[in-house]
Amino acid sequence: MTATHARPPLLRPRDVVLAGVAAALANHLRIPLPLIRAVLAGGTVVAILLGLAQALRLSGPNGAFAWSAFALLYLFLWALVPRQPATPDAPATRTVPVAVVLLGGATLLIGLLPVTWGFGTPLPFGAVEAAVLASGAVVWGAAADVRDPRWASSVPVVRAVAAGLLLLLAVILMGAAFIAGRPPVAVFAVVLALLGGAALVVPLVATRWAARSAERAAHARDEQRAEIAAHLHDSVLQTLAIIQNRAGAGSEVARIARAQERELRDWLFAGTDPFGADLATELRTFARELELEHAARIEVVTVGDVGAIESAALAGAAREALVNAARHAGGDVTVYAEATPEQVEVFVRDRGEGFEVDAVPAGRLGIRESIRGRMTRAGGSAVVSSGSDGTEVQLRLPRPVVGGGAS
Amino acid sequence: MIRVLIVDDHSIFRTGLRTDLGGELDVVGEAGDVDAAVAAIAELRPEVVLLDVHLPGGGGGGGAEVVRRSAALLGEVRFLALSVSDSAEDVVGVIRAGARGYITKASSGADVAAAVATVAAGDAVFSPRLAGFVLDAFGTAAGAPAVAVADDELDRLSAREQEVMRLIARGYAYKEVASHLYISIKTVETHVSAVLRKLQLSSRHELTAWALERRLL
Repeated sequence: MTATHARPPLLRPRDVVLAGVAAALANHLRIPLPLIRAVLAGGTVVAILLGLAQALRLSGPNGAFAWSAFALLYLFLWALVPRQPATPDAPATRTVPVAVVLLGGATLLIGLLPVTWGFGTPLPFGAVEAAVLASGAVVWGAAADVRDPRWASSVPVVRAVAAGLLLLLAVILMGAAFIAGRPPVAVFAVVLALLGGAALVVPLVATRWAARSAERAAHARDEQRAEIAAHLHDSVLQTLAIIQNRAGAGSEVARIARAQERELRDWLFAGTDPFGADLATELRTFARELELEHAARIEVVTVGDVGAIESAALAGAAREALVNAARHAGGDVTVYAEATPEQVEVFVRDRGEGFEVDAVPAGRLGIRESIRGRMTRAGGSAVVSSGSDGTEVQLRLPRPVVGGGAS
Repeated sequence: MIRVLIVDDHSIFRTGLRTDLGGELDVVGEAGDVDAAVAAIAELRPEVVLLDVHLPGGGGGGGAEVVRRSAALLGEVRFLALSVSDSAEDVVGVIRAGARGYITKASSGADVAAAVATVAAGDAVFSPRLAGFVLDAFGTAAGAPAVAVADDELDRLSAREQEVMRLIARGYAYKEVASHLYISIKTVETHVSAVLRKLQLSSRHELTAWALERRLL
């Protein structure tokens, strides 16, 4: 690398005093920031003071326009120099309360009206300027401050104060117009009064309107969703039922239709299922997954507060029993889970050909380890009974006694 | 052959069911909405009505409304509810209106025929899910003093009735329930009919409010 460093790009930072122009220049030109600030701010202050002096007839033409070059340069750079790209953790914000400064200017000018009144122009100096500053404060608040976390809360206050100032200005001018007999001033006063009213009312109306249309859109969405759900329920679910019916339990077609029905049902009634991540939900989820893989129709029935049970051992053993039933028996499988205050029971019954429970080779871990071992370690029990009309696995787990007795 | 009326608003389903049942049952008619169903029942007097829980027309009451409006004929016409929704309000609603059983629409033609025969004989048809509903509705699992002492007690199940319901919920057929409990099939059917009667007549708060509260699928 050579010693010549590239100049940093001319970009305005996102956390700024007023607009970031001075900081951007200082960074790019490698000139100390205070110096740039002093030049820009000093030139602008001189321009404002000279302008005021001229307007108040304290001096003759005095070069105020030339000094305003600094302010113009500032505005020029503000408009043309891009900002640094936004990052989520650094919102754009500024230190100077621009809207408050504008309001301050408007207040000052209104306060000076008695002094500037007698200058003979149709409108006293400061009236138009104060109106522009107050309106500017409202516009600034609506456009910039609402997105600035530092000033967002001040926007309604600024709006109210600006409206107050505009109305005050209107009343003063109206009174003065009648006293001095200057109709054009009265017209201007009416315009100001309307502006002030608009500053107060427009944002409220806009907010109300936005809320109303959002509400209407949400309502329409809900209605549409309900309509779709009703339609699907009536048509597609029925058709899926017919397909299952005609294809017969255990067939490939019925299996797919069943899986689709479950999926659709879950979507249609999403949010109305009272269960969370618990035994009831787990059993239903296992059943759905197994129906996708195997030619089995699994019905899950729960009684009591099975939804409050969270037992990894019971869920694991039940899953194993379900896998066995779906894989080896297929067809109709019934899962019944019942929770009482004393115990939880899960029954998995299939209609397969059955098998000799004691003849299962020792190496087959399914029943021995995954079901019996698991339940025993958890303090419960498992019974497997099998015959020519099917197999039933019974899982039983005592519930820990909750302190405080029966409730 | 048992004379059957099929009430369902989907013509495909009616046709499919008619084809499935054609050999075993005498399908005397079909209806597609509440008013047509009530009229057909009064005119045809079928032994069993296969009644979809969700039906358009009438006062919007669906299958339950059909049963209620045909109440005068409940002595000779029996209703078997068919539902695709398994929703507790719907099923319990139509049962309480007077239907004698409930099966899902995914049941095979043979299953439907068997259920129709059971209902025609005056017995009740409980699917595992309906048995689960009953156990839940009568608070059997909650540990409440739920065992009825007298037979005519409407708000509780007797110990035997609970056992029968549990076995049905576990997927046992009536025959299997009978052999498991060492009782006759006829006794099982008597127990199930007794439970059906309690389900229809009980004023248990749970039966009216429960289904709506849980909004189970």
